[in-house]
Amino acid sequence: MSSKLSETIDKVLTKSRHDDSDVRAATAPYQTDFPHDRDEEAQVTRREFCNFLGLTSAALFVGATGFAGKAALDARRAETFTPAKIEGAQALAPGTSLNFRYPTQKDTAILVRSLDGSYHAFGQKCTHLSCPVYFDRHHQRLECPCHEGAFDARTGDVLHGPPPRPLDVVNLEVRGNGEVWAIGRIAASGERLI
Amino acid sequence: MHPITTKGRDSMHSHAGRGRTAVAQARLVLLIMVNVAQLWILAATVEAALAHRFSALLPLVIASGICFVVTLTLIFWWRPASRHYTSSGYLKR
Repeated sequence: MSSKLSETIDKVLTKSRHDDSDVRAATAPYQTDFPHDRDEEAQVTRREFCNFLGLTSAALFVGATGFAGKAALDARRAETFTPAKIEGAQALAPGTSLNFRYPTQKDTAILVRSLDGSYHAFGQKCTHLSCPVYFDRHHQRLECPCHEGAFDARTGDVLHGPPPRPLDVVNLEVRGNGEVWAIGRIAASGERLI
Repeated sequence: MHPITTKGRDSMHSHAGRGRTAVAQARLVLLIMVNVAQLWILAATVEAALAHRFSALLPLVIASGICFVVTLTLIFWWRPASRHYTSSGYLKR
């Protein structure tokens, strides 16, 4: 009995070591219908890897071209702005800020009321990598949380950090009844294509 | 005239094989280096676009295009020479 058992064990061990097909047949019936070579699946040939690198290169080229093309087209586009009232600006206390959108719902902006009561508004996208800037009341400046860039809350100029140019400026108009209106938005400094 | 022995032919085969492997690996390393350079170019393009440095965009796109062309040449033309067409002809019968 024990000799038969040990014989069976030896047989199974020998088979599993040398013949993988029986193991697959024992695990799931569908594997006999769709056989696959495990060793072959685990490896990538040199040719496949070269083709992958070629596709990656194409994707990087298309990405660079697309990004540059979009930036150039956006810069060439002549925008017309419709004046828009900034709701809640009148009630804004000095030394605080308010978020709004201008000129479209996609364009976030930030309105800052200085301690002297004057209003300043800027695009909220940091000019480094487009993170949203926030108003730091303690330092009275606009800060970017991503890479610790800082901007002057009156002019939008870069105080420190990696941003390469000032924030976009939203032109404001304070009307007779104290209402604050946004009337235009310009990309501060930087080169222009037009 | 001495006939080529089996042992001698195997030695020549392995010598040629080693050479071909070295060339194939060099090709692979070059491809990877070009990809890394292109990745850097893409990052520089994004940064230049956000900074409104438009004069830098065209050179960066051209550089990326050159890298792509180099990749294509490496994949389609720059291959280890076939042993059937070696100039020495030692593998041909």
